[in-house]
Amino acid sequence: MADHNVAEEPPLAISAHVQYIQRLDKRRDEYEYWLTEHLRLNGLYWGLTALHLLGHPEAIPRADTIDFVLSCQHENGGFGAAPGHDAHMLSTVSAVQILALLDAFDDLEKRGLGKAKVGEYIANLQNKTSGTFAGDEWGEQDTRFLYGAFNALSLLGLLELVDVDKAVDHITQCANFDGGYGVSPGAESHAGQIFTCLAALTIAGKQEYVNTARLGRWLSERQVAGGGLNGRPEKKEDVCYSWWVLSSLQMIGKTNYIDKDKLVGFILRCQDTEKGGISDRPGDVVDVWHTLFGLTGLSLLDYPGLEPVDEVYCLPKSTVYRVLGR
Amino acid sequence: MADQGGSQHGIARTSRVRTEEQKLLEQEKIRKYRELEDQVRSHVSQNHYTPEVFQLTSRLLKLNPEYYTIWNDRRRLLISGLLSKPSVGSSPSRASPSSSQSATTTTPSAASSSSSSTATPPRPASPTAGTSGTTADDEVSTQQQQENDRDVLKSELNFTIPLLLESPKCYWIWSYRLWLLNLAIERLPTAAARRIWEEELGLASKMLSKDQRNFHAWGYRRHVVAQLESAELGGSSMAEAEFEYTDKMIRKDLSNFSAWHSRSKIIPRLLDEWKADDAARRAFLDKELGLIRDALNVGPEDQSLWYYHRYLMLNLVNFVGHPTITPAFTQEDRVTYVVREIEDIRELLEDYDDVQLIYEALFDYTLHLCQLEERQPDPEERVELAGWLKKLMVLDPMRSGRWADLERDTGLVAEVAALE
Repeated sequence: MADHNVAEEPPLAISAHVQYIQRLDKRRDEYEYWLTEHLRLNGLYWGLTALHLLGHPEAIPRADTIDFVLSCQHENGGFGAAPGHDAHMLSTVSAVQILALLDAFDDLEKRGLGKAKVGEYIANLQNKTSGTFAGDEWGEQDTRFLYGAFNALSLLGLLELVDVDKAVDHITQCANFDGGYGVSPGAESHAGQIFTCLAALTIAGKQEYVNTARLGRWLSERQVAGGGLNGRPEKKEDVCYSWWVLSSLQMIGKTNYIDKDKLVGFILRCQDTEKGGISDRPGDVVDVWHTLFGLTGLSLLDYPGLEPVDEVYCLPKSTVYRVLGR
Repeated sequence: MADQGGSQHGIARTSRVRTEEQKLLEQEKIRKYRELEDQVRSHVSQNHYTPEVFQLTSRLLKLNPEYYTIWNDRRRLLISGLLSKPSVGSSPSRASPSSSQSATTTTPSAASSSSSSTATPPRPASPTAGTSGTTADDEVSTQQQQENDRDVLKSELNFTIPLLLESPKCYWIWSYRLWLLNLAIERLPTAAARRIWEEELGLASKMLSKDQRNFHAWGYRRHVVAQLESAELGGSSMAEAEFEYTDKMIRKDLSNFSAWHSRSKIIPRLLDEWKADDAARRAFLDKELGLIRDALNVGPEDQSLWYYHRYLMLNLVNFVGHPTITPAFTQEDRVTYVVREIEDIRELLEDYDDVQLIYEALFDYTLHLCQLEERQPDPEERVELAGWLKKLMVLDPMRSGRWADLERDTGLVAEVAALE
């Protein structure tokens, strides 16, 4: 890695980032735009949440967004990534998050198939034996889907549709000696999976199962010399872990376990200050996913000018407060 | 929201200025891609589950292996046509499902399937079954069906390999392969299914030799091994072989925590299967401690090694309620081992006096020792603990908040302050 830009970091290029996100849907002359259609709804959630944190919620038209989201819904209640794409847990969670963000659950009731149908789709993906969740009817199982289910169902007020205790049991089986969690029982601890398991336990009100001393230590050990965070031991740092690791530390009240200033510096150095967007590491190609998780990281670090983000739902705190009253 | 697909990793930012010619070429590429996509969609929406459509999905997935809906279309195509449709006379050597099978049956429900079940719909009736009515013919046709299915599944598994090599972190490809492998269990005789799963273990090894930390591949390997061990595939325990595999991976790269982790998960099972007695368990622990000590002597800055060391130490001090290496150890044994580890780690300081992880281990394990002996640190230990903590604060200011918590929780504030 080149050292030339390590010494100084640029300030947050708010307007460049807003424009970068606004332009994302106008890049239809790029092959990449069409290759990523299977992530359209997820991308919309990432971009829209970023815009809300940047204080520019109006930068993408609200009505068009709601229309697009509803156009992705299937008869079974689930959402696909775009019209013509199969329903999947990940895009369904994105749909619910976007509708929560835009205060549009009423539109789902009136013009879509309604909350109950969405809840039913998600609940049907729970494995009745193990308690975990599949991503879709074809059966891939992963703690990412379990978290997604808890996130969306609790926002919809429908968590009672699933067997929460069984799901919690499953998460405790994914715990490792280092305090972390893996994608399934037996799997290595991974910061992304720790976020999903810890956030799911937090939504379920079962944080007492977490070994916070060991987990806090493991999470703090993710910070490397340059200030960035990695996702597993002896791996490279990456902006997205500014979210997975830091939100987890926030959930267990230990963000003081890392050097916040150094992390702020690392994230800021990953910006493309001219064209907007944030990348995984300084100098790399930006994308909306790293842009969101760079911003949510900065928000958790109290960077000035950003709306506070909720560490469990990855939505603005104001949204979570409006929907859940917490 | 936790999906990394489509995000950019490790690609250098360049000022992309496209020439007019490049722009035109890109437009042509987009046009062809969308045309192909439209073709597939239009056929699938009309339930045209034909070999031609199957070929179209192959083309599209080669261009975009992240397109999960197309993988699902492919599953529907297999279920509603290509599997269990023996085409008499087709040569196994050209058993590509898209070229050698005649499948024109359509299943109306497949495209709009909204079931949450992962079960496969009943296989379509074979054109020969039921017409002859004799048991012998039924057996022949069952065998033909199974051979056909085996060929289709193998060809399909082969199709995904180049895609997986190109996109080793693509969730959809991994999950599609598992779906195929499960079909092998459902549809093939045990021995044939087992051969397919055994080959899959080879693939997992190949993927891990290319990227030793790929957690998809490690997870996949665990799953494949569990299936190969299962009664369903007529298997038996592979714990020993898998333990040796972690050995091999660790020797290749001591820093491979994925391998150390896997080792930690296999050990309790392995000892049970060996029916290891107390002496054998003690010898095993000695060997593991020796292995990690040798590794630490050359790489005391390596987190992976310390994590595994912590795992071994937790076996000694945190032994209630879960399996450990040496459950029969007496209190005295445990204390002896912890004391010996502390002494060995002290020796490391002679060569490496500025390595933070060494001080952290000394601090940590001294507290373990006190916990084992159900006592508070004595005055001499308190001075040492404070000294190590002070070192940690100096060597690793990034985690100062953690050191402050430790200082508070251990009541060492005054001792550390005295070192200022």
